[in-house]
Amino acid sequence: MARAAPEVGGRASPRRLLEREGAFSWIMLAPGVLFLIAFVAYPFFYGIYLSLQERQVAKAGLFVGLGNFVTLFHDGVFWQVSRNTFLYTIVTTVLKLLGGLAMALVMNQAFRGRNLARAFLLLPFIVPTILSTIAWMWIFDPTFSVINWTLVHTGAIRTGFSWLGNATLAMVAIIIVNTWRGIPFYGITLLAGLQTISPELYEAAAMDGASINQRFWHVTLPIIKPILIIVTMFSIIFTFADFQIVYALTHGGPANATQVYVTYAFDLGMSAGQLGMGAAAALTMLPALVLLIIGLTLYLRRE
Amino acid sequence: MSTRREFLTVSIVGATGAALAPRLAGAAPKSMSVVHESSFIKPFDDFFVKQLAPAYEKQTGIKINYETVSVGSMLTRLTTIVETKSGPEITATGLNWPWLFDPSLVDVTDIASDTGKKLGGWYETVTDAVVINNKWKALPWGNIGQLEVYRTDWFKEAGVTKFPDNWEDLLAAGRLLKKAGHPFGFELGHGFGDNHGWLYPLLWSYGGREVDKDGKTVLLDSSETAAAVDFCRRFYKETMFEDVLGWTDVNNNKAFFGEQISCTNNASSILVVGKRDFPEIAKVTDHALNPNGPKGRFHMLNPQSHAILTHAQDQAAAKAFLRWLYDDKQLSAWLVAGDAYYAPFLHAYDNHPMWNPEPRYIPYKESLKTSRLPGWPGPASHAMSESVAKYVVVDMFAKACRGDATKDVIATAVGQLKQIYKAK
Repeated sequence: MARAAPEVGGRASPRRLLEREGAFSWIMLAPGVLFLIAFVAYPFFYGIYLSLQERQVAKAGLFVGLGNFVTLFHDGVFWQVSRNTFLYTIVTTVLKLLGGLAMALVMNQAFRGRNLARAFLLLPFIVPTILSTIAWMWIFDPTFSVINWTLVHTGAIRTGFSWLGNATLAMVAIIIVNTWRGIPFYGITLLAGLQTISPELYEAAAMDGASINQRFWHVTLPIIKPILIIVTMFSIIFTFADFQIVYALTHGGPANATQVYVTYAFDLGMSAGQLGMGAAAALTMLPALVLLIIGLTLYLRRE
Repeated sequence: MSTRREFLTVSIVGATGAALAPRLAGAAPKSMSVVHESSFIKPFDDFFVKQLAPAYEKQTGIKINYETVSVGSMLTRLTTIVETKSGPEITATGLNWPWLFDPSLVDVTDIASDTGKKLGGWYETVTDAVVINNKWKALPWGNIGQLEVYRTDWFKEAGVTKFPDNWEDLLAAGRLLKKAGHPFGFELGHGFGDNHGWLYPLLWSYGGREVDKDGKTVLLDSSETAAAVDFCRRFYKETMFEDVLGWTDVNNNKAFFGEQISCTNNASSILVVGKRDFPEIAKVTDHALNPNGPKGRFHMLNPQSHAILTHAQDQAAAKAFLRWLYDDKQLSAWLVAGDAYYAPFLHAYDNHPMWNPEPRYIPYKESLKTSRLPGWPGPASHAMSESVAKYVVVDMFAKACRGDATKDVIATAVGQLKQIYKAK
């Protein structure tokens, strides 16, 4: 029986299309790319477009170039907001890094109830931020504060701290909550890294007479360094753009002592109806984050 | 069809006809939506859902959906609705929002005019908030006032049998009460209402003003403002405690029910919640007007109103609903369900039975005549909202209370206001 000759120049069937690697790659990428365009790229470029306008809610915008940024740079509160954001991000990142690393090292040891302990340590990360922040509001409340109650009843202090009324303590409070919430993210990610380290490496190091400290600095740390850097990068981005903890706990008070970029941008855009100015305030975060991402990416590539 | 021109003409006419058909047919919408901030008075929301909406549907066949958003998030929701031009046809507004959303709101002057004629006329103070270029852009149903809320038992124990009439006397009472272990607690942090609610009236009562009537000339740098700031510092130091600097709107309510404070500035929600959950505290809770200052007595204006959004497919139907809602039969019953939480701006309700069950709410009605929007006497504007959103006046007082010099805090606030009001 004669076989039909293959089509020459005919339309490619869907099956054939899928077999072409280039086309298949694009098909697989399409949902992700579309998602990113719709929910990341479009808002991002629309944000830039808004930031270049004097755009009040419900009104047409007026192109002002970099006028909104100039106004912000002449705004004393904006500089206070910048200082607060950097302080908040740097301190919490260091604390989360140290705490998360310690947590991962402990959780990597064999002990009874390890799985249960791992599950419990994840709780701060699992509970919705707004719920846990409300719980923290009670913890910092002057009347009902468990911290103050403990300190006063153990005789450590005579009167309770004003956690959210004092400018310095309010910043300490939001740092504590962010650190508490962020440590499990570091801990679990670093734990995954630790579990890739072959026990033979530790055994060899021990046979060579390396102490626990030396094993940590010369075996553990170099191996988990790439993960450490990636997780730190993510954490910095999340912390820089943290909204819920600050908004729910202090709303930027007292007297802007805890106001950060995103809460300030929200107040400008949503409460004041100055959408252009709000977008500009939000975009001022961009240069620092871009520099950070470029720096860390270059470092990782070099490694 | 012999020529391309004929084809084109027929196509255009056909397309236009198809596009206009639904409107020309004049079919009433099957449903409309109203969006509100959740009321502190649950029966107020329930009355709409269980009584008003079904009654209107029975009369007209139009279903009215009642959407609520959490307290404090209505402005965000409204911004989203306006910017996306989609969502509910009718919205609740507060403060100066009709000015913010003016281009997106339908003129409801005809309903306001008829309602005013039927129900004794509107309070003049409310027009600052809802009348824009001689057009009513929203229909107020009631004010959420901010007054003094205090513990009568502790005041009596301290020898204060009548609530002080002026700020200095209140300070003197506060000293006694703090000494007795019952400090005052007035919000000085970044909440959305209980801070502005007493600090603007305090500023005004000493003669201080944020901006002039022209909305451009910043007037804050004055001896009157300095007097208000100096008083606030003493008031804070001698009657309160540090936490109030970081309070948001929930904190004074919590502190009042935690029996931590003897006096605060709040809406009547404390008494409402007290009667429900803390009856013993409710028995010894009362309200008073804000104290007098050297230049008068003032209160915060926060008119709760309904506005129709221009994206509403059938604006006439939305207007018909509001006209029905603002008829005495409906409005009166709804206000009664609201337990006098909303003080109506219609004079026909000055002596309405809604005030009878709980005389302790009456000061909220009395405060209407002296209530002003933040930024008064400047006109309601985007700049006014920006000043409020940036907590310029609140932070001026808060910084003074934490110890900053009067002239410094005023200078900082003036710098911000000049930028906001684009003053030279």
